[in-house]
Amino acid sequence: MNDESFAQLVDAHYAPLYRFALSLARNGSDAGDLVQQTFFIWATKGHGLRELSKVKSWLFTTLYREFLRGRRRDSRASSLEDLPPGEREPAAEDVDRVSKMDAALVMTALQTVDETFRAPLTLFYLEDMSYKEIADALEVPIGTVMSRLSRGKSQLRVALESVESLGSRVLPFPGSKGARAS
Amino acid sequence: MTTEEAKFILSAFRPSGSDAGTAAFGDALRIAGDDPLLGAWFAQSRAHDAAIAGKLGQIAPPAGLREAILAGVRVSGTQRSIGLGWGWLAGLAAAAAVAIGVFSMRAPARPESGTTELAGFAINDMVTEKHGGRGEAAGALVAELQTRGARMPGADQIDFEKLRDTGCRTLNFAGHDVIEVCFARDGAVFHLYVTRRDGPLGDSVAKGPSFIAQAAGAAAVWSDKRFDYAIASTAGIEAIRRLL
Repeated sequence: MNDESFAQLVDAHYAPLYRFALSLARNGSDAGDLVQQTFFIWATKGHGLRELSKVKSWLFTTLYREFLRGRRRDSRASSLEDLPPGEREPAAEDVDRVSKMDAALVMTALQTVDETFRAPLTLFYLEDMSYKEIADALEVPIGTVMSRLSRGKSQLRVALESVESLGSRVLPFPGSKGARAS
Repeated sequence: MTTEEAKFILSAFRPSGSDAGTAAFGDALRIAGDDPLLGAWFAQSRAHDAAIAGKLGQIAPPAGLREAILAGVRVSGTQRSIGLGWGWLAGLAAAAAVAIGVFSMRAPARPESGTTELAGFAINDMVTEKHGGRGEAAGALVAELQTRGARMPGADQIDFEKLRDTGCRTLNFAGHDVIEVCFARDGAVFHLYVTRRDGPLGDSVAKGPSFIAQAAGAAAVWSDKRFDYAIASTAGIEAIRRLL
């Protein structure tokens, strides 16, 4: 793969990969490392992939594997201490709540969801991946993906309530864009 | 299939609506159509999903990450140490960028930044805010926009001040006004956003239309001599492309 093709590949995928990594790693520095490492692996191994249609899935799978590998190696790995305590159905006020929240707060809420549910949720929300594509990327059965999406959404609703109540105590995330309706 | 089973399946229905024709969702969708309570739950759930997708799509990678990726792979080949953080490489890339800048000050800037920002703003507003409030002048524009085959308006057809003063919905983007006009064509709803070219995006929006798809919807962004434009819709890129 030449430089131009590689740059096009990076342009097409580095932002969504970063958002996925940020939801997993829960800090920008580790997320950047994961994205960097993923493209490095592509440069050394992935360009041999014959089916171009599978590049996206390959990148997300590789990043997820690297994240899991890093967690096993690193004793600082995130624990589940922030796991939201309960699950509940969607309510009418949930949409308004999200609409009024800053993007960084929504990401913060996502980051508190159990890691098992967080990965499929991120691919669902950010990449518009189907449950089959998520199953391929995370290498888990389809039924498992559906179960994790259902439970993950429940947890996320609770988490969104929690971070909203924290309000300004949550530190702003530097990568979010400010945009508000007048 | 019980209501709970239908909910379980519909939880995997994508915010963009891309699963509408997927057989696995067929039974659950039919039950949601017949059962008002489940239908309301599904509508609520989709609106919530779209709002979350819109917000998360606003998170931008840190400056320098792209350059660090490219520089890291280029300079290290297969011998890169696993332990190097991207911050170190970002510094290297930044230094390289400064050096390159000295020798090629006329190199064109990447044009995508403003385009992407405006598209993200439009899609997020489309899925997270309430729409409406058209005034008299907007009404005339809406009628024209809804005419099948009509082209999108250009600088000569838009009186920015009049649109704002007569009650068209006005948003704030980085301290500058963006006017939104909603219209429908061929059964799909579109949201046209117009902002002055001397606004926050400067001249970073390309003239030709750029098409951007996110989980929550799609947008086209373009510019002319006076304005930057974005059209957002959940109907997909092809539906937007047919407008232009």
